[in-house]
Amino acid sequence: MNFETTIETGNISTLHIAGKILGNATDIFRKEMELQLQTGRDKLVVDLTNVSLIDSSALGAIVTTLKCCQESGGKLVLLNPQKAVQEVLEVTQLATVIEIYDTEEAARAAFM
Amino acid sequence: MAETILVVDDDLDILELLKMNLEPEGYDVQTASDGESAVQSACTDPPDLILLDVMMPHKNGFQVIEELKDIEETKNVPIILVTARGQTEDKVRGLDTGADDYITKPFDLREVTARVEAVLGRTRPIKYINPLMRAMGEGFSEKGLEQLAGHLQAAAAIQKKLLPEQAPSIDGFDIATLLQSSTSVSGDFYDFIPLSETQIGIVLGDVKGSGIPAALLMVMIRTALRLLCHEEEAPASILKRINDLVVRDTEADLFATMVYGILDTTASTFTYSNGGHCYPFHWTQNRNITVLKTGGMLIGAFDEATFTTGTCHLAPGDIIAFYTDGITETGTGDSTAADPNQSISTTHEDAILTDMFYGGDRLAACLSKNASLSASALCEAIVEDLARFSGSTQTHDDRALIVIKRDV
Repeated sequence: MNFETTIETGNISTLHIAGKILGNATDIFRKEMELQLQTGRDKLVVDLTNVSLIDSSALGAIVTTLKCCQESGGKLVLLNPQKAVQEVLEVTQLATVIEIYDTEEAARAAFM
Repeated sequence: MAETILVVDDDLDILELLKMNLEPEGYDVQTASDGESAVQSACTDPPDLILLDVMMPHKNGFQVIEELKDIEETKNVPIILVTARGQTEDKVRGLDTGADDYITKPFDLREVTARVEAVLGRTRPIKYINPLMRAMGEGFSEKGLEQLAGHLQAAAAIQKKLLPEQAPSIDGFDIATLLQSSTSVSGDFYDFIPLSETQIGIVLGDVKGSGIPAALLMVMIRTALRLLCHEEEAPASILKRINDLVVRDTEADLFATMVYGILDTTASTFTYSNGGHCYPFHWTQNRNITVLKTGGMLIGAFDEATFTTGTCHLAPGDIIAFYTDGITETGTGDSTAADPNQSISTTHEDAILTDMFYGGDRLAACLSKNASLSASALCEAIVEDLARFSGSTQTHDDRALIVIKRDV
């Protein structure tokens, strides 16, 4: 897994992740989201365009972060999850509580 | 008393910068400019936390961690690794070696303070408050750890006892189960609860997260279910009550997925609710497979979760198979799927992903092919198919399976 976080106008953080979010990579993913929250950034776009797979603890990290964002009045949205990830979101029905967007513009517009 | 932070970097400017930044926050700051003196300083006067640069001449950060983890006085000192930007390999290796967190250079000073505070916040309670540690009286000693390992084994034994040793025998139905654990305490579970002469409650679930917290959650869910299933009838209402209980009592990253249903042996129906769990298969005599997806969200993360109940009718010879994702996520040569070091990859992977995992389609095919077998022979056929696919009988994840077949 590799990632890069960009801070956009309006203080929106976008996490661009590439690869599989499994094992220790999940810890890094979790810590990166934690860091955004610790530094007061609670508007997160998690870009899953290049993520082929996530494990259940990555799912847990998303759920925890989502709830933290909501508590402080922010939001976490997912961008463009691919087939395997989309399936996990549907089976667990997380897709019903997390906003999911196809394009970066639409994801950013969700915070306006 | 101020907490002490040992800052290690071969760049003296960075040392000075960090010192100037951390001292006003109330920390005592010690410095070392190479790995060797860092180890010496940490041994002589163990700090509360170490901020450790990776790239240093003579002895790099990883070597320092390895040495410190071998020394009684320093092995529990939390370490934050300072790595260069984009070096994901370093971060993974650092966490593997025993670092608690990392910071990427060039760093934002606010980030440094936030990370230091977060790591100290996590380790402080373990050191000073954790009642288990205090009760042991020995702090972090070998003896204390041995005791902890003893408790862990006891927990695993209790958990094993909670799982039914064998599937119940019910007139008109053939039931078999399988449970394989990858660690001493498992997150997968199943249970059979007799409700009346003609009705039996069946649950199969998977607690996400790992270790003792996950095992405790499993016990909590199982106990709640055992009590609630006599009070409530609709599986959906039971899942809702379990969900609300777990939401209230646990952190959001601890949750479960589960299917609970009632098998009625007179009506030959299975009335169920699926809480975010991988869809069980219903194989019918006309070789059709449908999935049992009626239900709601995963259990224990959201208090607004709602659930619905579904029913399916079992004709003679019909089969229902419940499973956990440890089965469908079995990888080819299983290491590929579970090895985090293999996690750097490209986007082309989606194309081959279906070949990397055993998946629901293969499981459904295996079920169809072996549908004429008894329930236990069917379980064995699935295990064999998994071993063939992965090239190994070992498993990296817990696996659970229940097969219910109505007699012809």
